[in-house]
Amino acid sequence: MASSSSSLSSHGYEIPWVEKFRPTKVKDIVGNADAVSRLQIIARDGNMPNLILSGPPGTGKTTSILALAHELLGPNYKEAVLELNASDDRGIDVVRNKIKMFAQKKVTLPAGRHKVIILDEADSMTSGAQQALRRTMEIYSNSTRFALACNTSSKIIEPIQSRCALVRFSRLSDDEILGRLKVVVDAEQVPCVPEGLEAIIFTADGDMRQALNNLQATYAGFRFVNQENVFKVCDQPHPLHVKNMVRNVIEGRFDDACSGLKQLYDLGYSPTDIITTLFRIIKNYDMAEYLKLEFMKETGFAHMRICDGVGSYLQLCGLLSKFSIACLTAKA
Amino acid sequence: MFKIISFHLRFDCLSITVCCCYLVLVMGKRPIVVLSSSDDDAGDCNDDDFSLKLSCLNKSKSRTASVPRTRTKKVRVSSSRSHPGKNANPFDEMRLFCEDFGESFTGFKVSAGNRKGNKELWLDKYTPSSLAELCVHKKKVEEIKVWFEERISTRKDEHCNYVLLITGQSGVGKSATVHAVASHLGATICEWNTPTPTIWQEHIHTTNAGLRYMSKLDEFENFVERIRKYGLISSSLTGEQQKPIIILIDDLPVINGKISYGRLQRCLHLLVQSVRIPTVILITDYSREDTSDYTSRCWEDLQTFLQSVGACKVAFNPITVNSIAKTLSKICKGENFRITADQIDVIAKASGGDIRHAITSLQYFCLKPGSITKAPHAIDYLDDGHSLPFGRDETLSLFHALGKFLHNKRDIETLTASDSVLLKEDFTRLPMKMDAPERVLGQAHGQARPIADFLQENVLDFVHEEAMDDAWVATSYLSDADTLLASLAGVQYKNYVAENIIQSTAASVAVRGVMFGNRHPLSSRWHAIRRPMLWQVEQSRWRNKKEILGQRTTACNGVNLSDLSIIATEWNPALKWLGFRAFEDDTRHLGGLVNDDMVHNEEEDEIEDW
Repeated sequence: MASSSSSLSSHGYEIPWVEKFRPTKVKDIVGNADAVSRLQIIARDGNMPNLILSGPPGTGKTTSILALAHELLGPNYKEAVLELNASDDRGIDVVRNKIKMFAQKKVTLPAGRHKVIILDEADSMTSGAQQALRRTMEIYSNSTRFALACNTSSKIIEPIQSRCALVRFSRLSDDEILGRLKVVVDAEQVPCVPEGLEAIIFTADGDMRQALNNLQATYAGFRFVNQENVFKVCDQPHPLHVKNMVRNVIEGRFDDACSGLKQLYDLGYSPTDIITTLFRIIKNYDMAEYLKLEFMKETGFAHMRICDGVGSYLQLCGLLSKFSIACLTAKA
Repeated sequence: MFKIISFHLRFDCLSITVCCCYLVLVMGKRPIVVLSSSDDDAGDCNDDDFSLKLSCLNKSKSRTASVPRTRTKKVRVSSSRSHPGKNANPFDEMRLFCEDFGESFTGFKVSAGNRKGNKELWLDKYTPSSLAELCVHKKKVEEIKVWFEERISTRKDEHCNYVLLITGQSGVGKSATVHAVASHLGATICEWNTPTPTIWQEHIHTTNAGLRYMSKLDEFENFVERIRKYGLISSSLTGEQQKPIIILIDDLPVINGKISYGRLQRCLHLLVQSVRIPTVILITDYSREDTSDYTSRCWEDLQTFLQSVGACKVAFNPITVNSIAKTLSKICKGENFRITADQIDVIAKASGGDIRHAITSLQYFCLKPGSITKAPHAIDYLDDGHSLPFGRDETLSLFHALGKFLHNKRDIETLTASDSVLLKEDFTRLPMKMDAPERVLGQAHGQARPIADFLQENVLDFVHEEAMDDAWVATSYLSDADTLLASLAGVQYKNYVAENIIQSTAASVAVRGVMFGNRHPLSSRWHAIRRPMLWQVEQSRWRNKKEILGQRTTACNGVNLSDLSIIATEWNPALKWLGFRAFEDDTRHLGGLVNDDMVHNEEEDEIEDW
């Protein structure tokens, strides 16, 4: 994978860094140390159990599986791995035919190695298709193993959960993302300032894929990574701006807060963008417990209304005024 | 695919290459199949019998006449797995047929022969082979054994039903029990196995030859038809000693809609009425969260239907933690892993009564022996902030976090140095003695809905008896969280971000609301955290509703009562008031109506959307 990427980039194409810097060894995977260390042992010893990896996007589920399959099967990868993701047709017929046929296929592998069927984004499979998978999984277990990746394990039907070991991935910490970003920055010689990386980490919210994409986008657009450029490229409301808004509300300067909101709105950010950032700010803002609780509640309700289609400027103003009311009632 | 083979055979277009590759595919998994196909080569079976026989042999695996009765199961295992060398014996017949591709055959043997003890799934390795090894409750096993004995020993028509319905959530040993009981009784199990499908290209290729593309439901209907008409024994087991046969139907076709449901129902109805061989149907129960799902509701309907037409039902409960733990420690001994009893206990609990998952988890856990001996924090979630990173039962990993929220420990002194504005005394709280709730939630891998439910169930236990105000504050925040979550229920958000925000706001509001509201937490007395009653209530509510709906369609013959509340408040009380006799008449009447069930189903279609 690495070799093909370098040859491509030498032609002048810039392949996504997400692909270019995707770890090919299980041990290089960032975060979720416990899970990764176990996968490493599987990669070494073989005999992979059926696995479900579940966790939020960008935490390395697919990467883990791919790296694992590569390490397990080496040169046999092409013939011994069947990879299906949501973009492939995975209706019940495919499960019955393609997967079953693959499971019956004979591939000569070293002892302890099995064919691997990778089902990415398995939670988007219909429950009928999952039902059809159930038996296949059992019958061919001595030649074929399954690795499923999904965001929420509860969308996988129980019989399948029962046949798999469940591995939970959690969001990456900021340090972990920062470490990886630094590697990429060094390798690509991206000029940057620490605040820029910080901004990227904020926009990524524990999602490594997002972080790398944002880094590359900023680099491609401005050739320099600082805070300003990052938020321009990622097209998210500047968190500092939003933070000021919240501070103004708490300190009783409602007019300033409103004009701040107006500015943001006039820049063309949709209410969803604004409220998403607002929620993240409130979550990390150091304020009294009661205020945080009330702010979160109101943000939640406003977000709900916006999702229902009432995405107007008025809603956002109303949200700010509800914040103020909460402040006023609580203030001594 | 079997069909295709036989097709080729019959019409003598034995282009070896084609046949060859099909057979290799078959052999890759199950050598016995090849044997029977050579049988067929010489024999004169018709198409139907052939594929039926295959599907039967597919599973029974032990069709050697020399096998002693009691050890069927053992031989089954060994013949298919561990000693490929011995396998050669039953293949003598087929050698002649497949000498041409001996190469690929030996290839198969190599891959099977290299299998060492530790290269298998422990699930397969430790499949229970005798009754004693099962960890299903003794009574249930006994019940099933007796049922089989009755039907096998007395080969008369004194039993009206030959269908046993086994239900239970996944991984409680339904099929394992059947297999074990069968081997105990020396019976052969013929499993209905989805025939290997025709690939679409194949279908296109062979349309001219008259092969139809069949859905799984079609195949199942054919299967039932064959069993009804010809029985199972006639062709496949002639010449052998009369071994009792059990039909096992594990993999019922998937239902997607009223029509296919109707077909399956009718098909099973016929099966129950006419089959004279003990037949087991396995249906998996789904737990709470799936109840809104149409297919899982269908399975429940199907269960009640099967019972109503006379199938005997045995419901398996989740396996107790103790017996799971016992099995796990036995496996550990077998594998030479040393795991503390506590760790085993945690794994057993986390599996939620699902032994299959427990064993898989154990295998996964044992991957890293280092953490077992010296780093207990990986699993001992009770002391450390980390929850179990695996295990099916999410709620268990939640308990730790829930305990923190509910006990609501605070620092004694207040840190007034913070820059924020001063609040009234009512609204100030001492700083929490833990990380931010969001962080704790993130570590617990919690979903918002169970968290809110659990908090609601348990919060009152942790609030001081006198503190009425605390209770209402906490409850009002919980109801807010509930409203937020309800907005999720209807719509399927394609947008992960939006869903994520709603989930996390709701969880935060619930947790922070409870912590904020509970100003006077009870001193840290031991409280057990209960599972939400709400879930049971919801389930039984749904069940009652379904029952009433069932009465509506059958009992109110011809009368279309469209309103549930009318049935509940007027119709049923009226029936009761009229007395038991009237009601019994009605149900007897109902019995006669079963045959017309389809008609009623269609009626139901129209009034379904009340």
